Amino acid sequence: MMKGLLIKDFKLMKGQINFFFIIIAISVGIAAFSDDSSFMIGFLPFVLSLFTLSTISYDEFDNGNAFLFTLPVSRTNYTIEKYCLALLLGGGAWVLAVISAVVFCIAKKTGSVSDVGMTAVSILPTLIVIQAVMIPFQLKFGGEKGRIALIGTLGLLFVVGMVIGKAAQILGIDIADMIDNFPVVSMGVMVTALVAAAAILLLVSMKISITIMKNKEF
Amino acid sequence: MLKIEHLKKQYSNFSLDCSLEVQEGCITGLIGQNGAGKSTTFKAVLGLISADGGNITILGKDLRNFTPKDRENLGVVLSDSGFSGYLTIRDIIPVLKNLYKSFDHSFFIEQTQRFQLPTDKKIKGFSTGMKAKLKVLTAISHNAKLLILDEPTAGLDVIARDELLEMLREFMEKGENHSILISSHISSDLETLCDDIYMIHNGKVILHEDTDVLLSDYALLKVDEEQFCKMEKAFILRSKKETYGYSCLTNQKQYYRENHPKMAIEKGSIDAVITMMIRGQE
Repeated sequence: MMKGLLIKDFKLMKGQINFFFIIIAISVGIAAFSDDSSFMIGFLPFVLSLFTLSTISYDEFDNGNAFLFTLPVSRTNYTIEKYCLALLLGGGAWVLAVISAVVFCIAKKTGSVSDVGMTAVSILPTLIVIQAVMIPFQLKFGGEKGRIALIGTLGLLFVVGMVIGKAAQILGIDIADMIDNFPVVSMGVMVTALVAAAAILLLVSMKISITIMKNKEF
Repeated sequence: MLKIEHLKKQYSNFSLDCSLEVQEGCITGLIGQNGAGKSTTFKAVLGLISADGGNITILGKDLRNFTPKDRENLGVVLSDSGFSGYLTIRDIIPVLKNLYKSFDHSFFIEQTQRFQLPTDKKIKGFSTGMKAKLKVLTAISHNAKLLILDEPTAGLDVIARDELLEMLREFMEKGENHSILISSHISSDLETLCDDIYMIHNGKVILHEDTDVLLSDYALLKVDEEQFCKMEKAFILRSKKETYGYSCLTNQKQYYRENHPKMAIEKGSIDAVITMMIRGQE
């Protein structure tokens, strides 16, 4: 079942193959002409995993979802498949980007391989969180409204952050000081914890997405 | 194969209360105007929308227990939805192969050649006829037991419609237990194809009859004022005022033919029956 859906999505993405190559060319170009080989580790997985969202748009286009759910596909399968696709694309691009970055790093003798490794690992939680936030929005609101809802939510989070900051200031709590005084842990433990937290967030996000899909009418 | 009992769905300006049954080995037609509730009924049967009440039994199972795997036994055409227009036939073959265990690859290819469907062209570039044929072909290529077809012939020319109905007849010949539920607002499609017909109007089934009976026993009586006053009205289903007097719908053509030999009796057609059922007075 899942395989059929994945094939469908890859076939849909085939139509954007040129865009795909342009993104890879840009990443390689920047890595080749600048000394910053870690740029592509952030850029490539993020942009390529956005293709998941575009397959969701394709599915919705012309009420295509209605037909899709008359096939032997459950709404849960469909949702899980989208997360698998995001992980495949994001993960695949991440591996590709890390390998290329290491190659550039060694070839151009700029920076250390361990620095590239560090960047690669620390970018993972961000990448996962972005997927965890964007997929449910896309499923709930669709392409156009999804973007607006996402921007709205980010704005709201920003405002909430500001309010907390202000409130802390009024109450005389120094947040920067609190962070500085966090128990010192090794970078490795820190990153592992962050990746684990992001993975849990992704699972929660998937659960929410499944509920969103189950409640939809076509 | 399919039994719908008082399926209810409430929208702000529309309410559906539909009961119907598709027998094994039969083609059942659902006819009605645009917005009569055909698509709503289909979508509820397919679980695309939630029902507000009633029971649906499909292939012997309650709809609530009908799993995605069970859906392999269904072939579905929706009037307003299909595979993404950005895919080609070549793209959807591996998709179908992986979704349906009994996908008949060679049959599918054979039929695309028979109907000259281009395999490498994006579906969005297809003509209306090609799109319709592809939809039906997709529905009949995996050995389904029940086809649920919502307006499969909408917008087609006579030739394309004929070819499409031919595909459905061939599907029926392939298995004794095959059944079809088909909706249309083009009555001639259903007249030649269906074993029985349900008429739906404003969300309610207003008539259910075997097609044979509908065509043989139903008739339109054209009478003047005087005839109308004198005639037996027990077998009149609907009547309507006309310039010449009245037109009356009966389901006992023989009775009027024998007792009122001078009366103008017009053979029943689905179009005439549906017009009278909707516009006429009881």
